[in-house]
Amino acid sequence: MIYAVVGLLVGGTLGFLVPFGIPAGYSSLFSVALMACMDSVFGGIKAACSGTFDDKIFISGFFTNSLMAAFLVYVGDRLGIDLYYVALLAFGLRIFNNLGFIRQHLLKKH
Amino acid sequence: MQLEKGRLSIACVCMVLGFMLVIQFKSTEDIRASQPSQRVEELAARLHQAEAENKELEAEIRDLRGMSGDAKSEKITDDIMMISGMTPLEGPGVIITIDDSAKKAKMENDPNLYLVHDEDILKVVNELRAAGAEALSINGQRLTANSEIRCAGPTISVNNVRSAPPFEIRAIGDKDNLVNSINMRGGVADSLKVWGINLTIQPLDNVWIPAYKATTKYKLATTSSKEEETK
Repeated sequence: MIYAVVGLLVGGTLGFLVPFGIPAGYSSLFSVALMACMDSVFGGIKAACSGTFDDKIFISGFFTNSLMAAFLVYVGDRLGIDLYYVALLAFGLRIFNNLGFIRQHLLKKH
Repeated sequence: MQLEKGRLSIACVCMVLGFMLVIQFKSTEDIRASQPSQRVEELAARLHQAEAENKELEAEIRDLRGMSGDAKSEKITDDIMMISGMTPLEGPGVIITIDDSAKKAKMENDPNLYLVHDEDILKVVNELRAAGAEALSINGQRLTANSEIRCAGPTISVNNVRSAPPFEIRAIGDKDNLVNSINMRGGVADSLKVWGINLTIQPLDNVWIPAYKATTKYKLATTSSKEEETK
C-alpha cells in the first residue's frame, strides 16, 4: 500500500513540475486513457484481493489498455463514430464493478 | 497477500497514474481559465471597430484644427444643416414604395392586417437607419430628429402632414446595405409579404430628398452650458 501511495505522490509531483499540459484537441483521448489506467489499477486491486494477482498481466494490461483505448477513440473520431462515450461508459461500469467487489471483500475480511 | 510480489510494478503503475491524473487536472484548469475563443474573437472585432472610429475622429480633429476660423465655422454649419434637414440632399440610395394589400381579406381575418400601418413604416425606417441611411423622407416629408410617424385615422402623419398610401420612403445610403437590410430573411419585407402588402425596393444612383419645410421653433427648451447633469 505504501508503495502505491509513494508512487502516486511521486507521479503527481512530476506532473506538477512538467511545464506542458495536454492540447485541447487531445484532451478527450487522454481522458479515455486515464479511465483505462484507473480501470486497470482497480482491476489489479481486485485481483490482489482475490489472490490471483499477476505482475505481468497487471503491467501489460495497464499500458496496452490505456494505449488501445486512446487509439480506438482516435480512430472513431476519424470515422465519425463517438467511441469516446462508449469507452467512458465501459470503463466507468468496470471501475464501479471492481469497486463493489473490493468493498465486499474488505467487509467480509473484517 | 500476493500484493507483496508486485510492489515495484504497483509503485511504477501508480506513478504513471498520478502523473496522468495531475496532467489532466492541469489541462482542465487551463481550459477553464482561458476565455472561450469565441469571446476573444468578438472582443477583437469590437477593438478593431473602436480603433477605426478613433482614427476617423482624429482625422476630423486634424481637419478642423488645420482650418481657419471661417472655414471651420462653415464646415460646422454645413454639417448641422445636413443633420437638421434644413437643406435638400442627393446621393445614391433606394426608393421604397409600400401599398395596401391587393389580396382580398379572408372572412376570418382582421381586415386591418391587409393595410399599411404606422408601425410598418416605423419598422422599415428603423431598419434603414440601422443599415446606415444618412437621410430619409416619407412621401416628401423629410425625417428630422423631431419627426413623428403616427397613425392618423386611415392616413399616416409625418411632420404633422398627413398622407395616404402608397407610401414612398426615400433613403440615401449604401444601396446594397439598404436593400439587404429590408430584404433579409425574416426581416420587414418577409413579414409584410405574408399579408400581401406590396413592398418594392428600387436602388438608384441618385435619390433626391427634400428639405424639412416647416419652421423649427423651440418654445420651451433653451441651450445649456452644462456638459454633464449636476444634482
